[in-house]
Amino acid sequence: MNLGNLVASIRKEEVTESVLKDTFRQLGILVPRGVTLKELPPIMDLEFPVVLKVSDEKILHKTEIGGVVTGIRNKDELKSAFYSMKAKFPASEFLVEEMIEGGLEMITGIIRDKDFGLSIMIGTGGIYTELFGDVTFRLLPIDSADASEMIDEVSVGRFTGNGFRGVKADRKAIVEFLLKISEFGIAAGDFLEQLDLNPVKINYQQIYVLDAKLIKTKLLET
Amino acid sequence: MFEKFFNPEAVAVVGASNNPVKIGYAIMRNLISSGYAGKIYPVNRNPGDILGIHSYQSLTDINRSVDLAVITVPAASVFDEVKECVSLKVPYVIIIPGGFSETGESGREVEKSIKNLIKGSHTRLIGPNTVGVYFPHTKLNTALTPPERVSFPVAGDIAFISQSGALGLLTMDSISEYGIGISAFVNIGNKIDVDENEFLEYFNQDARTKAIAIYLESMDNGRRFYELLRAINRVKPTVVLKSGRTEASAKAASLHTGALASNDRIVDGMLRQAGAARAYDEVELLDYSRVLAYSKPFAGERIAVVTTAGGVGVITSDYVSSRSHGIGLHMATLSEDTKAEIRKQIVSFGSAENPVDLTADGDIPSYEKVLGVLQKDRGVDAIIAYALPQTPKMNMEVVEVISRLSAADKPILVGVIGSKLGKELLVEFERARIPAFPSIERVVKSLKVLHERGIYLKSRGLL
Repeated sequence: MNLGNLVASIRKEEVTESVLKDTFRQLGILVPRGVTLKELPPIMDLEFPVVLKVSDEKILHKTEIGGVVTGIRNKDELKSAFYSMKAKFPASEFLVEEMIEGGLEMITGIIRDKDFGLSIMIGTGGIYTELFGDVTFRLLPIDSADASEMIDEVSVGRFTGNGFRGVKADRKAIVEFLLKISEFGIAAGDFLEQLDLNPVKINYQQIYVLDAKLIKTKLLET
Repeated sequence: MFEKFFNPEAVAVVGASNNPVKIGYAIMRNLISSGYAGKIYPVNRNPGDILGIHSYQSLTDINRSVDLAVITVPAASVFDEVKECVSLKVPYVIIIPGGFSETGESGREVEKSIKNLIKGSHTRLIGPNTVGVYFPHTKLNTALTPPERVSFPVAGDIAFISQSGALGLLTMDSISEYGIGISAFVNIGNKIDVDENEFLEYFNQDARTKAIAIYLESMDNGRRFYELLRAINRVKPTVVLKSGRTEASAKAASLHTGALASNDRIVDGMLRQAGAARAYDEVELLDYSRVLAYSKPFAGERIAVVTTAGGVGVITSDYVSSRSHGIGLHMATLSEDTKAEIRKQIVSFGSAENPVDLTADGDIPSYEKVLGVLQKDRGVDAIIAYALPQTPKMNMEVVEVISRLSAADKPILVGVIGSKLGKELLVEFERARIPAFPSIERVVKSLKVLHERGIYLKSRGLL
């Protein structure tokens, strides 16, 4: 499926985390293997450890309200985590995903700026990015020179080349990833208000989007 | 576009006055005393002469076309004057007075009504709330500051677009002391019609302009500004000073990206993406414009330093190499051949290592030979040369020497410390279009800007 059709297909529906991840998967972006569900089935084709998350478009910051459990090692742990979460969010769907371990955490996002329009951001550190302020922006679309310069403007750049303390990030892979996100942003330009990919996990050449959220522009809702 | 604005043959001053407390008096005086060669038509409701020039009671009474009308009457009367300009098809009108949108809602309404007047007309408006323009080549000066208070720069290579009038005038006054020239100064003020984007386009085409310096408080058409800036920077360098860095951006913060997206961070990324240098104050704005106008960008990271004072060389090395309080480049490792050549030129206690120290004994011929050797060393990408006036052997000839050697491949940036002969040196370097700076920090920061432009151009296949 091409990008235009893909984006057109999510333009009208509720863009939940799993819808967004499906879209990314079809664009050649890595996302963890996972299942969206309301009830826990007896058998799931997933390898432990897994992550359990509430999947609800209305919840923007699920970690802060206990909507994420990581490091679930077996069926029993999953069961107890699931039922306590279901008690908290009885009306929501849930996402069970294989856990991607190790690597470097990065945040990538898109925002609509009042002066400059859609702008893309990368930052180091996932949940700590706001604390460190280790971020940089560009206007969409970006080219590979822009993407490469962005990498060097944040600490992510220091993990490229020979890496840092054993953690390595492949510059070319990150550039390709950012160009794909840029293309997605342009294609979704008429309804995208904000996009958060946080965290994005970099394991050398493998770049996984672990969590994804999209907010549509207010104009579209009316 | 704007040909007649930058080269007007006839200028009308609406509200010209003999009363020294009126704006219309100051502007008339500046126009006359700066030596503007075109026709000047004072306009005042009362008949008579103004500063010895025959005055007209209205624009219509002039009975010939003017290229530029400068409106100096109070805000309340501006509407009627612009209306007359439109009916007379005056192509360019500068509205000097303040008292419009910067004062509130009623001012904004008046601006709107004035803007409506020019719809579909041949008239373009600059301002309001502006000190106007200063063009050294035509000596057109509409600034309202009396010449005994500020000086205006000579003709040069830098176009200066400023949203603030006072900052523009004061900066021009500051650089005049060192003989730094400009190709044009325009104060866009409240920019109800002509904005920074249109002037950017003009200066991009202007052969006199080698670099464009821009001071902005707001970007009303930010996308267009970015696109222009990016296209222009492929050939002509621009430097942007944007104020309001700590303003909170207006947004409904919700996701993490939104929380991290301050207006300043986006402006910063936009400028990098467009290849524009960013200045944080008026000194940087003109320093960076000069280095980019006069020197070839370089992408390498190996810097050679030449000095006649050891301390100056060491501090410069620190600034060049340090990441935490410096620019994070590298001091070049000189080749054995280079060092052998340098040793022939310096006294035994001098240093043939980088930073090269000729000591107080360094004279002009040895300085020239050392610079020549460094220009040839393949391990050197750019040179910082100090012209320090404390030793008897240093004199004005150093300007000619550095000028000659700057024609070679690698850029040479000059540092000068001191105020007596030091200032003379700076003025002479400026005349020769050699980027020279009156402090260690300023020369090193300017070097970084030239390097960043080199990297930008190189990674896009333009260098």
